[in-house]
Amino acid sequence: MANNGKITLEIFRYHPETDSEPRYQSYEVPYNEDWVVLDAINWIKDHIDGTVTHRWSCRMGVCGSCGMMVNGEPKLTCAAFLKDYHPRAVKVEPLVNFPVERDLVVAMDGFMDKLDAVKPYIIRDDVNDTSEGEYRQSPAELARYKQFSMCINCMLCYAACPVVGHEEEFLGPAALALGHRYNKDSRDEGQSERMEVMLSDEAMWGCTFVGECSVVCPKHVDPAGAIQQAKAMGAQEYFKGFVMPRGAGE
Amino acid sequence: MSGQYHRPHRWAWWTERPGYMRFMVRELTSVFMAGYLVVFVMTLASVGGGEAAFAEWIAALGTPAWMAAHVVALIAAVWHAVTFFGAVPQAMPVFLGERRLPGPVAQIVMGYGPWLTVSAVIVWWVVR
Ligand code: SF4
Ligand code: FES
Repeated sequence: MANNGKITLEIFRYHPETDSEPRYQSYEVPYNEDWVVLDAINWIKDHIDGTVTHRWSCRMGVCGSCGMMVNGEPKLTCAAFLKDYHPRAVKVEPLVNFPVERDLVVAMDGFMDKLDAVKPYIIRDDVNDTSEGEYRQSPAELARYKQFSMCINCMLCYAACPVVGHEEEFLGPAALALGHRYNKDSRDEGQSERMEVMLSDEAMWGCTFVGECSVVCPKHVDPAGAIQQAKAMGAQEYFKGFVMPRGAGE
Repeated sequence: MSGQYHRPHRWAWWTERPGYMRFMVRELTSVFMAGYLVVFVMTLASVGGGEAAFAEWIAALGTPAWMAAHVVALIAAVWHAVTFFGAVPQAMPVFLGERRLPGPVAQIVMGYGPWLTVSAVIVWWVVR
């Protein structure tokens, strides 16, 4: 393990019982080339200051819980290597566009509600009995939505989205991509039901296609692409409503 | 829930990332496009005003200040169009079975191709 001295982490601190405003605290940690920012934060918590609060679990870019701002950039801290910042200091802050619960931990309630709003599950008119077997799907049908099903709910895209920052109610990239994922699933029949939510002003029409959600997404979900595709589908539904009014074109 | 900290609003958000800046520049190009539409409508109006009015308007458009404006508007329009076609593969993916057409190919199939075809038809229709 290469060890070339130290690296400084500047950490956003906020404890609601004692702080009315956030503050920054600097910590010096051993510099290891193969350490990620999350390793350094864990080292601080274990060896210097046990009161530093942060979320993490898998350490391998799967659970989506370690998202933070690293030098102003939304990152999975378990995938952000210290060697990409050393010898400069690393500033770690909670994800922007979310209320801060404590130190590096943000409140996720709003995000969870938004995921829930798009009905992220397969909706069927009539549900087959399990004895009838599974709903078959071809590899080509899977390919239509697979990319959008790779989301790990890390919320980095919300931190990168200026519309989320302006409009608290905006459903946001991950939730809209998730809705689109189910609309694109050949086993699903819930598109018009889901579109009622996705077509509202706080949903996909709120998106101005800045596109940075797709830039920061660690799983290449391309939520920006999903939303533009959903807009095209939504416009089709809208025009179908003109041509065949009164519930036709479902 | 009480005790949460809400960050202040970031009014200068668009300065924070190069991607935000690119977005703002692209939005700004729309202003030039809209402006040029006005020029176009005024040109049509001058046609309605007779041959002399039209010639006068065309001569006015040839002054150095107007030439500079044409060049700026052209750059804005080209940038707007190129970024539009650049986004086409994201907004309109093309699948062949399990495979998705790679970006540059999708840009041609769904973007530049149809645009060139329509343009060629219009040119043919005008000059025939
Ligand atoms: S779309 Fe990407 S950035 Fe957004 S929550 Fe899912 S994995 Fe994270
Ligand atoms: S700790 Fe699970 S994604 Fe980083």
